[in-house]
Amino acid sequence: MRSRSGTLGLAAFLAVAVLPIGASLLYALLYSVGLAGLLAEGFNGRHWLAVLGSGEIWSSLALSVWVAAGVVAAGTALGLALALGFRGTLDRGALGMALYLPLALPGAVAAFFVFQMLTGGGFVARVLLRLGLLSDPSRFLPLVQDRWAVGIILAHTLLATPFLALLFARLYESERVEELAALSRALGASRRQSLWRVEVPILLHAAGTNLALLFIVVLGSYEIPLLLGRQAPQMLSVLTMRKFALFDLRQKPDAFVVALLYTGLVMALIAGIFRREKAA
Amino acid sequence: MARILVACLCALPLAVLAALSFAGAWPFPDVVPSRWTASRWLEVLAGRGGLAASFGVSILISASVALLSTVLGFVTSKHVAYHRRRRLLLFLAYVPFALSPVILGVCLLYVAIQAGLSGSVAGVILAQTIFAYGFAIVLFQGLWSPRMRAFEELVHTLGGSTWQLYARVLVPLAKEMLLLCFFQTFLISWFQYGLTVLVGGGQVKTLTLKVYDYVGEANVFYAALASCLLIVPPALLLWANKRFLFKAV
Repeated sequence: MRSRSGTLGLAAFLAVAVLPIGASLLYALLYSVGLAGLLAEGFNGRHWLAVLGSGEIWSSLALSVWVAAGVVAAGTALGLALALGFRGTLDRGALGMALYLPLALPGAVAAFFVFQMLTGGGFVARVLLRLGLLSDPSRFLPLVQDRWAVGIILAHTLLATPFLALLFARLYESERVEELAALSRALGASRRQSLWRVEVPILLHAAGTNLALLFIVVLGSYEIPLLLGRQAPQMLSVLTMRKFALFDLRQKPDAFVVALLYTGLVMALIAGIFRREKAA
Repeated sequence: MARILVACLCALPLAVLAALSFAGAWPFPDVVPSRWTASRWLEVLAGRGGLAASFGVSILISASVALLSTVLGFVTSKHVAYHRRRRLLLFLAYVPFALSPVILGVCLLYVAIQAGLSGSVAGVILAQTIFAYGFAIVLFQGLWSPRMRAFEELVHTLGGSTWQLYARVLVPLAKEMLLLCFFQTFLISWFQYGLTVLVGGGQVKTLTLKVYDYVGEANVFYAALASCLLIVPPALLLWANKRFLFKAV
């Protein structure tokens, strides 16, 4: 009886989590090599060669990695600063409540907010003008749709920082970092040495999986770069969607090639996370 | 002082968006709106216009996705946790959860079209459930410990049925995690954009889609109103969820 329910449970898992994804990826693969779709032209690697040979995919990948790494770095630095700066009191009082507000922002709303703040006619430019720190509105350097994707990084960092701060604060307790730091100081370490050689490394190591998952999530983000990114290069999800939604059906196999490359990259990263956890 | 500053920075997005949603006019370079109006909010509260309907559709989709993925995840995650190939199965559960929703949507669209579900609320619910279900499986892994297994064996040894096992033992023991999973999967669905655009074919108008529609029309006041409506349910859920949120760390 119990083994039958186990088989049924596993079958349900495979039917919901594995089968649709497997079928979709198989269709994408067949489409990308000319074996499926309206314009199927027989097996060929033309679209793979075209995508891999174009600079567009590599600049898109580089931009996605740049943004994801930037968000993880900025979010980690700010999260650590908040968790260590407000040791033990981060989730108390008004701050404890306010910290949860950015967590409630969907990506679309964060993008819209950053857009309203950082465009030439946005809130920041208005405040700078009022304070006399900006003489001419046209001299304000807009940080949206900019070359270095600062707007995208800022929007993602806005969403990630409170989460990371609360995570680090909780790890600070669960990993007994305070006791270990006290021990290091009792053994002669300075306050600075204790911070950089004990507290920060322990927190970073304990949060490693979460940081890797944040990297993956930002790597494939869509809503924020859609509003705050430039036309070229575009982040991987935006590029895929653009190629997929074009009226030119000949671009669709290219969209599937980009989607499959991204899927391969993410699966390799997840495999890396699993290996790390197994080794730990 | 630093605590107040950080708290103000955290509250800034909501304050700016709320001000925009109540603004009658906000010409450049004014720092605050020159005229205020509650007409847009009254319109939504009276159920007029597209936003009230979008709010209802969003609630329906998110609640359905949360319920489906929590129940299904709870029942099936046990079999994943106790399976001898647990790591492989868990890896497979991570894939939909970690993939970009847009890329997942591009690939899933064919399946949705073949199943006749493209452009429908049911199609969006099912597509989002695949995405949220992976998260539920990963979340519930922390629940299935040797202690839980011992409880299960005890119930069976004492002659309890599967129904009694779930109703009297497993669900009461997992109550907090079930609530957490429901809240989190509700939020995953509530925040969705890419998957909804693709599988919904632009016909299922959730609040997230409305934000982009209004931004595209350069109607910032309505975009801000839609944003405020998007923030309220997750803010309430996260606040209610606060004590469970980082418990698993």
